[in-house]
Amino acid sequence: MLFSLEEVIETISAVGVETFDVRTISCGINILSCADSDVHKCAEKVYEKVVRVARDLVPTARTLEKKFGIPIVNKRISVTPVSLLANAFTEPTAVPIAAAMDKAAKELGVDYIAGFGALVQKGFTRGDQILINSIPDALCTTDRVCSSVNIGSSQAGINMDGVYRMAEIVKEAAERSRDTNGLACAKLVVFCNAVEDNPFIAGSFLGVGEAEAILNVGLSGPGVVRAALERAGNLSFGELSELIKKVSFKITRTGELIGREASRIMGIPFGIIDLSLAPTPAKGDSISDILELMGLERTGCHGTTAALAMLNDAVKKGGMMAATYAGGLSGAFIPVTEDDGMCRAIVDGALNIQKLEAMTCVCSVGLDMVAIPGDTSIDVIAGIIADEAAIGMINHKTTACRLIPVPGMKAGDIVDFGGLLGKGPVMEVGRFSPSVFVRRGGRIPAPVHSMKN
Amino acid sequence: MNNNKEQVVITVLGANNPGILAGITRTIADSNVNVEDVSQKIMQDLFALMMMTDFSSANCSFEEFQNRMQAMADQLRVKVFIQHEDVFRYQHRL
Repeated sequence: MLFSLEEVIETISAVGVETFDVRTISCGINILSCADSDVHKCAEKVYEKVVRVARDLVPTARTLEKKFGIPIVNKRISVTPVSLLANAFTEPTAVPIAAAMDKAAKELGVDYIAGFGALVQKGFTRGDQILINSIPDALCTTDRVCSSVNIGSSQAGINMDGVYRMAEIVKEAAERSRDTNGLACAKLVVFCNAVEDNPFIAGSFLGVGEAEAILNVGLSGPGVVRAALERAGNLSFGELSELIKKVSFKITRTGELIGREASRIMGIPFGIIDLSLAPTPAKGDSISDILELMGLERTGCHGTTAALAMLNDAVKKGGMMAATYAGGLSGAFIPVTEDDGMCRAIVDGALNIQKLEAMTCVCSVGLDMVAIPGDTSIDVIAGIIADEAAIGMINHKTTACRLIPVPGMKAGDIVDFGGLLGKGPVMEVGRFSPSVFVRRGGRIPAPVHSMKN
Repeated sequence: MNNNKEQVVITVLGANNPGILAGITRTIADSNVNVEDVSQKIMQDLFALMMMTDFSSANCSFEEFQNRMQAMADQLRVKVFIQHEDVFRYQHRL
């Protein structure tokens, strides 16, 4: 027999018992060909192109789910940053483009459509300003549109005007979506060193260096790693790393298969697989649970950063060999409300936002799905974004903030965003003000790229 | 050698009762799917069966075959998984 019964049962239980799934197949689509000075005409072209190019995405995913017995939880689309198109608009709004994207997503049955964003690490174009000003309206009047803005990079430094403007936008988006606990902010990411081929929302977009259309794959699999660690018992660090690498290889390999097959069926090139461990709110599908199984009493205790660093590195090493092209954000994600274990650690007082920030230094991606008190000032939000961007800038990695200042809620309250976005506690933020610092204006210069200590 | 084979792995798991193998193989035969290899074990009271099959001669679509097998599995009160062999090949073979 080609495979042993044990091997077959291992694959089946990864899905059935350990909640393994392919988190997403994301189809990137170049929409630069839709340029028009009339925003409404441009919107029509965007709708037409997205629906035409991604027509087969959902049916293909369904076929592959049945063929291989592996759930594909989300089907997503990303487009070229819309700010590039907005440069040509006579009317200073990009909201009709968001409406067209939302309509296309619903028509196709995809879960999210991302790329309503801008890259302003060095400064703003007119199109960037139109786009950014349109974000609160766009996110509050659509259901599936996601937005991201890149405000810094290791090459350019940090555009602190961009940081401050985005803090204002986060606050406004939260207020405008008060009746859904600031849900608009769950669809908005502020990046440093954004990547052009990320399949994950809310920060996905098709970079300008990418092809006309591309398929990227993202994975979930914390439950599989957790189950392997549970079975393994007491291991040294070397053995632990080996075990994680093997599991990561297998789950990445499955993503590779799905990506290749989807590419073949749809006739769209397979871009990358994101070597990722993305948690879900389901019990046991948690990065925090893995860290605790590694021997931490609670995630957030001293030693957490080291444990996460090792996990993240082993996931990449294992996944690297399984993938023809690795890319995207690649690493373990630690979104707070999407991870039941992380939420428990906060409720128990083991994890605070400062430790979470330290954890973001060694993992993908940043302060993700962090609910903060609704009365947090714009200055403090700007300070949080700037800190996170600085970590990315200095360490040559992607960092991001997806902060939700939940209107009317205070630290310790529990907020529920529903579905994959999960529910969790509102985290306490620092009490002192960075006002003078964050309002200085201009850019933090690019860092030195040698003498690294 | 048939190069147009479409190899599909069928796995059946459940409590051990008389008639499971008979019911499953009857549905496979009715669908004109060719069984190439069989491995079966009783692990404690758990019935575990794996079959490597060639689906290329089937008289129905893959989805229809899955539905037929699911209906039989429900009748036998076991779980059945019908998956293309590539998923196992990718995970377990270099």
